[in-house]
Amino acid sequence: MADTGVITDESDADQSRRKFLLIATSATGAVGAVFAAAPFVTSWLPSERARALGVPTEFDLAKLEPGQMAITTWRKQPIYIVHRTPEMLASLNGHAALLKDPDSADSDQPPYATNAMRSRTAQHLVLIGTCTHLGCLPKAHFEPHDPEIGAYWPGGWLCPCHGSRFDLAGRVFEGSPASVNLRVPPYSLSDQKLTIGVDQA
Amino acid sequence: MLELQTNPRAPRAAKTVRCQAGLALMIAAVLLAPAAAFAAEAAGQQGFGADWESWKAHNSVSDLASLQRGARDFLSYCNGCHALKYMRYSRIGVDLEIPPDMVAKLLVPSGGKATDYISTPMPAADAVSWFGKEPPDLSLIARARGTDYLYQYLTTFYIDPARPTGANNLALPASAMPDVLSHLEGLKRAVFRQEQLNGTTQEVFDHFETVVPGSMTRAQFDDFVRDIVNFLDYVGEPVQAHRRALGVWVVGFLLVFTWLAWLLKKEYWKDVH
Amino acid sequence: MSVVAKPPGAPAVKTGRLRAWFYKRLPIEEFISEQLTGYYAPKNFNFWYFFGVLALFVLVLQLVTGIFLTMFYKVGAATSFDSVAYIMREVDYGWLIRYLHSTGASAFFVVIYLHMFRGLLYGSYRTPRELLWVIGMLVYFALMAEAFLGYVLPWGNMSYWAAQVIVNVFGTIPAIGPGLVEWIRGDYGIADATLNRFFALHVVAVPLALLLLVVLHLVALRRTGSNNPDGIEIKEKLGPDGKPLDGVPFHPYYTVKDTFGLGAFLVIFALVVFFAPTFGGYFLEHANFEPMNALSTPPEITPSWYLTPYYAILRGIPNQRLGALVLLLALVAYLFLPWLDRSPVKSMRYKGWVSRTFFAFFILGFLGLVYVGLHPVAPVYVLMGRICTVFYFAYFVLMPWYTRIDPVKPVPERLRFRAHA
Repeated sequence: MADTGVITDESDADQSRRKFLLIATSATGAVGAVFAAAPFVTSWLPSERARALGVPTEFDLAKLEPGQMAITTWRKQPIYIVHRTPEMLASLNGHAALLKDPDSADSDQPPYATNAMRSRTAQHLVLIGTCTHLGCLPKAHFEPHDPEIGAYWPGGWLCPCHGSRFDLAGRVFEGSPASVNLRVPPYSLSDQKLTIGVDQA
Repeated sequence: MLELQTNPRAPRAAKTVRCQAGLALMIAAVLLAPAAAFAAEAAGQQGFGADWESWKAHNSVSDLASLQRGARDFLSYCNGCHALKYMRYSRIGVDLEIPPDMVAKLLVPSGGKATDYISTPMPAADAVSWFGKEPPDLSLIARARGTDYLYQYLTTFYIDPARPTGANNLALPASAMPDVLSHLEGLKRAVFRQEQLNGTTQEVFDHFETVVPGSMTRAQFDDFVRDIVNFLDYVGEPVQAHRRALGVWVVGFLLVFTWLAWLLKKEYWKDVH
Repeated sequence: MSVVAKPPGAPAVKTGRLRAWFYKRLPIEEFISEQLTGYYAPKNFNFWYFFGVLALFVLVLQLVTGIFLTMFYKVGAATSFDSVAYIMREVDYGWLIRYLHSTGASAFFVVIYLHMFRGLLYGSYRTPRELLWVIGMLVYFALMAEAFLGYVLPWGNMSYWAAQVIVNVFGTIPAIGPGLVEWIRGDYGIADATLNRFFALHVVAVPLALLLLVVLHLVALRRTGSNNPDGIEIKEKLGPDGKPLDGVPFHPYYTVKDTFGLGAFLVIFALVVFFAPTFGGYFLEHANFEPMNALSTPPEITPSWYLTPYYAILRGIPNQRLGALVLLLALVAYLFLPWLDRSPVKSMRYKGWVSRTFFAFFILGFLGLVYVGLHPVAPVYVLMGRICTVFYFAYFVLMPWYTRIDPVKPVPERLRFRAHA
């Protein structure tokens, strides 16, 4: 026993001090490890360049004819802007029973777009042109009763990837793989200028 | 410290001698000081610039007011030819605590956005034909050459009719850049002297002489240059203030951790004999 | 989890059901009992014994920071320099990841040189550890290659010219030299092709080689057991339990000690990263903050400080081809060390004044070469470099002779150990 390098009997006092120090050091080390990981995890956030390019997009509505749709981008996403005619607006009524979420209760839009028209003003509709199923670009089929789709068709969008259908307020039809309406981005209007990305002009 | 040996047998006499000597020294100092200062001043005026290689920028990147002036002055006097292509106006606003509306009004050129990188209106091809080379981007110049060099460069321009720009520079001889700040600093010429070096006679810079005063005094121009160099120091590494602040916490934490680890190690090594 | 040393016979670790599931499918319990609690290391490790585990830590640090840098860096002659500026200014905490990597590179060499110094000091290269030493030297060579390749990637002016100079050294090889240089470059000058392949080598190929060599190094160490400051083999004195009398279980004694060592190292490392990341231009050269310019050489082309001793040796030889050969010999010399040392004792503690003098001059010579290599070519530095080169080679070349005539001291039976209170 006298010749060995290590003594293996410990008193209780040593044990508790040892345990305390071990816990204290390990806890401090763990905290340090989390803080050390933070910069690496944070580096994955959108960089200054992404944030700069993600600034609000502006669009001149005067250029948009009634019945026309324009596509622009904001934060790397396609934005659909539609100048709706009175006929297109009228087509929004009468098929609530065919919609999954007619009141947009489960869908994603700013408060001012949580209405039947899903927009600030009846005339202009602003949508994020990404199918809420798996992300393809829905194609515009504005002609009502389009023979490809069916007699009930009031006009709207048909997604080519898996067949989801949306009306002229971006609301999703029953029978579509998508479960919520097309998203509306934050936007504001000032005269004929549309600013996508900010709520206040 | 010298310990004056006192003769214990005549303490009062020794003390009196010390007092008189001290008094004499004080009177001499009072009389001679102005003369000495005058001599130094005169010598300084005659030898202005003789010590240019030891001039230091003495800038402080924590001086926000200086950085703000430097930003304003850089954009006014330097941006005409030099870009800061890695710097955004918006970043300057955030780091230098300039409100966004002032950034948009005072810093961002018309038609630009605050998030734009700072470019220069000087067309590269024209610059080459006018100056012989493109004015370099200055985003990293402070890290590449150092702030002392930049300070010396901006303060050692002198008249030289032999150069195409009419000016030369001590820190960067035959610099392609004209003396663009001469209306502020004034115009000065360099006086050379003959010196024997390695067996040959060579012209060595001696001192500057002001030829035409500028709109600023020497002290004002000195501050002006310091602000611009300070701004370039900041632009070279905008995150430096945050880096140092974070470092205090990190090193502090690591010291605590190491101390705990030391106690733990000593505790376990009690076992070992 | 229980880490207190238990009396022999008690179960090694408390096992729960989840733990038992893993233990049945992976040799975890065996690993712990064989490599950690059951692996006995000499109890008299001193300050010089921290640097192995620190080298391992820095390796992991470089791998992690390197991987993250690769997520943002855009290799290409037109984009590399700009992408580094993007990392420094626009990626959240990109600046910190970059500084960790650049400081880590220099830290790696500080640690490795101190680790090698320990080897020379205590004769850790002597039998049966010859292969351990040789593998370690291969790690060192791979590390120098990795550092050189990495340095080119920012594509600053020093990156370009350092690549130019070092690739040209290969041109001195007789007959195949010029063709070899063009083959390495992939172009008629250092160009985008060179940069791209250096990127692939730096990010994938050499790290894999480094990992393999480090694993081999650890396996070889485990096989022979560690040396110690007295140069005595602890396995020759076993206790009744079959364990070395002068050894302690690696876990918990050295895990705990190395944790402290790591903390102390991190304090110094953090001071550099946060308060002096360029380290006066030695860790991040000033000239490299300017973009590459094939028409403008920086006033002084020097390699990074950790490569300067060999650069100084090269510059000291007036003949280019001979200089390259001598540089090669300076590196190869290390590999022969186990067979050059004919001393009856391992550790410098028990060697005589002759060995100590040659060793001291070697260290002075090495440090002198670092110093010389950092300065431009001037007569005083050339002379100093040549003298230091002589000291450097004398250590190796004359070793078979001076280690035999050296008056050694008697080696004790048991390890010298002072209990740490």
